[in-house]
Amino acid sequence: MLLLLREDLTRSFRLRNAKGKRTEKRGLLKRVSNFAIPVIVSGALLWGVLAIAPMFWDLIESYISENLGMGAAIFNAVLLISFIGSIMISATTVGNSSKMEYLLITPIKMRTIFLEKTIIIIFYNSLIWMMIGVPLFLGLSIVSPFAFALLSVPAFIVTLLILITIGVSAGGLVGLGVARAVAGRRALKQIGTAIMSAVAIIGTTLWYVSFYTNSWNDGPNPFDALFDLADSLGFTSILTPGYTVSSVSLGLLIGAPWRWQDLLSVSLFLVLGVGMVLLNSYVSEMAHYSGWLASDATRTSKEAIRKEHGTWNPRSFPGLKLSNIVTASMWFTITSVRRDARVITNYLLGPIRFAIWLILPGLAFGAELGGITSYFILAALIPFATSYGLYFAGYELVYEGKNIMNLQLAATNLEEYVRGKVYSAVPFAIIASIIVSLIVLFISPLMWVYLPAVLVACAFLCMASGGIAANEAAKGGDFKADRSITRQRGASVRTPLRGWSSIRASLVPYAIGYAGVFGMILAGVFFGVLYTYAILPVFVLFCWRLTTHYTRKAGLKLAQIDATKYL
Amino acid sequence: MIEAMELTKVFNEFIAVRNLSFQVNPGEIYGLLGPNGSGKTTTMRMLLGLLQPTAGSARISGHDIREEIVAAKRVMGYVPEEPVLPERLTGWEYIHYISDIWRVPRSPEREDDIQELMNLLDISDASDDLIETYSKGMSRKISLVAALIHKPTVLILDELQAGIDPRGAATMKEILNGLRERGATILMSTHILEIAERMCDRIGIIDEGELIAEGTMEELRTKAKGQSSLEEIFLSLTGGPDMQLIAQYLGESA
Ligand SMILES: Nc1ncnc2c1ncn2[C@@H]1O[C@H](COP(=O)(O)OP(=O)(O)OP(=O)(O)O)[C@@H](O)[C@H]1O
Ligand SMILES: [Mg+2]
Repeated sequence: MLLLLREDLTRSFRLRNAKGKRTEKRGLLKRVSNFAIPVIVSGALLWGVLAIAPMFWDLIESYISENLGMGAAIFNAVLLISFIGSIMISATTVGNSSKMEYLLITPIKMRTIFLEKTIIIIFYNSLIWMMIGVPLFLGLSIVSPFAFALLSVPAFIVTLLILITIGVSAGGLVGLGVARAVAGRRALKQIGTAIMSAVAIIGTTLWYVSFYTNSWNDGPNPFDALFDLADSLGFTSILTPGYTVSSVSLGLLIGAPWRWQDLLSVSLFLVLGVGMVLLNSYVSEMAHYSGWLASDATRTSKEAIRKEHGTWNPRSFPGLKLSNIVTASMWFTITSVRRDARVITNYLLGPIRFAIWLILPGLAFGAELGGITSYFILAALIPFATSYGLYFAGYELVYEGKNIMNLQLAATNLEEYVRGKVYSAVPFAIIASIIVSLIVLFISPLMWVYLPAVLVACAFLCMASGGIAANEAAKGGDFKADRSITRQRGASVRTPLRGWSSIRASLVPYAIGYAGVFGMILAGVFFGVLYTYAILPVFVLFCWRLTTHYTRKAGLKLAQIDATKYL
Repeated sequence: MIEAMELTKVFNEFIAVRNLSFQVNPGEIYGLLGPNGSGKTTTMRMLLGLLQPTAGSARISGHDIREEIVAAKRVMGYVPEEPVLPERLTGWEYIHYISDIWRVPRSPEREDDIQELMNLLDISDASDDLIETYSKGMSRKISLVAALIHKPTVLILDELQAGIDPRGAATMKEILNGLRERGATILMSTHILEIAERMCDRIGIIDEGELIAEGTMEELRTKAKGQSSLEEIFLSLTGGPDMQLIAQYLGESA
C-alpha cells in the first residue's frame, strides 16, 4: 500500500513528460517549475500576511472570534467542492479498472488498491487548499501573540484532510450508487448520471447557502422553505465538519479556550471520514468484481447474424447545408461526449456550478439590488457560451488523441473537421442562453428588449471561443491525456491544454464576451436600445472572423501534429 | 507502387530506421519481417506521412511523401498494429464516420459495401455494439473494413493477422489475393512466418532498422545457404535463442 502510494506520487509529478521513454532527460527544469508555482504562490501569501496582518491584528482577532461561522462557511464550501468534484471519480476509477489490470493481479487486496486511489484523490483535492491555507495560518500564527497559535497550522492540516476525506468519499459513494442504479442500461446511464449529479450539486449548494443567507437576510427569499427544512433536519452550522475545522484551527489562532466539544467533534469526524473511505474502497471492490460498471452489449447468442441498419445520415442544423465532414465531425463530437456519462455531466454542469456562484449573491440580496440582479444573471451566460466552445472544440480536439491518426491518414481538409467541432457546441450554448433568458424575463421583464441580441451574440461568441480554443488545442494540447480523473483536484473539468495555451483559450473569449455583450447592453442603457442592435452585427461579424481565422489555423496545425505526440 | 529511398528515422539519438530502401510493385504482396523493435512500424508510419523521415524519402504511386503527401494519402489504406478505434462508437457508426472523413459519398453503394465487408469478416452481428466491447480480433477486422472502404490501391498492413481466427485469416487471405490480382500494391508486416511464406511474393528482413535480406523465398533460400524453411532463414540471419541463458534460467528457477 505504501509502495503503491509512493509510486503514484512520483509518477504524477513526472506525468507531463513521462510518456516517451527516451525523451525524459529534458524534463528536470519542467519538473522543478511544477513545484515552483505553488511554492511562489505560498511564499507570496505568507509574505503578504506577515506584512499586513500585524497592523490589523486586533481587528482580525475580534473578527475571527465573532465570526467563527464565517470560517465554517468557507470550510463547508471546501467540503462541498471536494464532494461535487468527486461524485463520478470512484465510479470512473473502478470503471477504468481494466487499465489497472497489472495492479489488480498482484497479491494485494483489491480494496487496498482502490483505497490507495482514493487517498491520491484526497491528496490532490487538498493540495490547492493547503497551498492557500498553510501560509495564511502560518503567517497569522506568527503574528498572533498567543502561545499555542503555531499549533493552528497542524490543526488546520489535519482537520482539512478529514474534511476533504469526508467530501471525497461521500462524492465517491454517491457516484458509485448512481452507477449501480443505472448499471446495464446505456441510455439511462447517460441521463441518470447527469440528472443525479445535478440534483446532488444543486442540493448541496442550497444546503451551503442556508448557512449564511439565514443569518443576515430577513426579506422574502425563494429558499426559505428549504432552509427551514434543513434546519429541522439539524443542519445548523454548529455541527457541520466545516464548523469544526473553523473553530479548532481559528480558535487556536486567537487563543480561544479549549472546548471538549471540539475534540469530540474532531474525533467524530475523523471516525466518520475513515469509515467512509473504507466503505468507499469496499464498495469499489464490489463494483469491480461483479462488473456493475461494465459496458453492455446488444448482441445475444441466439440472434441471426445479419443486422439491418437505417441509412447513415447524421443531422446538422436545420436549414443549413454542411459538408459530410462537418456533419460527421459534429456528430462524432456530440456522440462521444454524450456516451460518456461523466463527461456530459461535467460539461453541462461545469458552467452551472460557476453560474450558481455568480447568481447566488444576486438571489441572496434580491430585494435590495433590484435591477442589478438580472445583469448578474446575464453575466452568467458568458461563461456558458465560452465554456461550451472551449470544451467541445478545444478539449474534445485534444481528446481525439489517437483518433488524430485516423484524421491525418485521410487525405482530407481538417479545417472542416475542426469547424464541425466548433459548431457542435452551439446548440448547447443556445439552450443555455434560452434558459437564462427565461430566468431574466421572470425577474425583470423589461429586459426583454435585449434578450434576442444577447442570444445571437452568445451563439457567435461560443463559435469564436471554439475557434480560439481549437487553435490553442492544436498548438498546446496534451494529446496523450485521456480524460484522466484521478488527478482532478475538485475542479469540474480538468484541462488537457498546457500552460499558456490553456490560459489564452479560457481568458481571451471571456474578455471578448464581457466586453462585447456588456458593451452592447450598456450602449442600449445609455443611448437607447437601437444602439444595441446597431452594435450586434459588428460583434457577430467580429466573432465570425475569429471563428474562420482560427479554425483554418487549427486545421492546418492538426494535420501536421507529429504521430509521436499522440500515439 | 511503393518506393522507399534511403529512409531514416532517428528518435533523439536512437536510430530506429537506417537507410532503408525497397520497392513494392503493383500486383505484389511484400512482407516485412524482423524482430520486435526492428523498425517495421516506424517505416510504415513514415510511408503514411504520420512521421517525418529524418532523412531519405519515398514515393507512393509516384507521389513524393515529402512534397505531395495529400495525393499520396489519397491512394493508401492502413491497418495499424494496434487498431485506433473510438471506443464509444458502434462498429457500424465508426465505419460510416471514417467514410465521411474520407469523403466517400453517402450513398446506397457505400451502405452495401460496408454491409458486405462486415458479413465477410463475421462482425456484422456486433455492428451495433460499442467498440469497447469488441475482442481483439474483432477490432482488427473492423479496422480492416475501415481501411478498405475508400478503395485504396496501396495497402499497408501492420501485423494484420495477429489474433485473427483461422476462418478470418483465410478470408483475409482471399481478399488480399483478390486485390493483388486487381493490381493493388500491398506491404505487410507479420511475425507469422507461415503466412509470410505462403502469401508474400517477396520478403524483406530488417534488423535494427537495416534491411539485411530481400527477395523471393527462392532467393532467400540461396542466400542463407542450405536453410530451407523461412524460420531457419530468419533465425540464421537475426540470431536464434540463447540456449545457454535459457538453461541457466531453468536451472535457477527449478
Ligand atoms: N516515439 C518513439 N520514441 C522513441 N523511440 C521510439 C518511438 N517509436 C518507436 N521507437 C523505437 O524505434 C524502434 C522501432 O520500433 P518499431 O515500432 O518500428 O518496431 P517494430 O519492428 O514494429 O516492432 P514490433 O515487431 O514489436 O512491432 C524501437 O526500438 C522503438 O522502441
Ligand atoms: Mg510494429
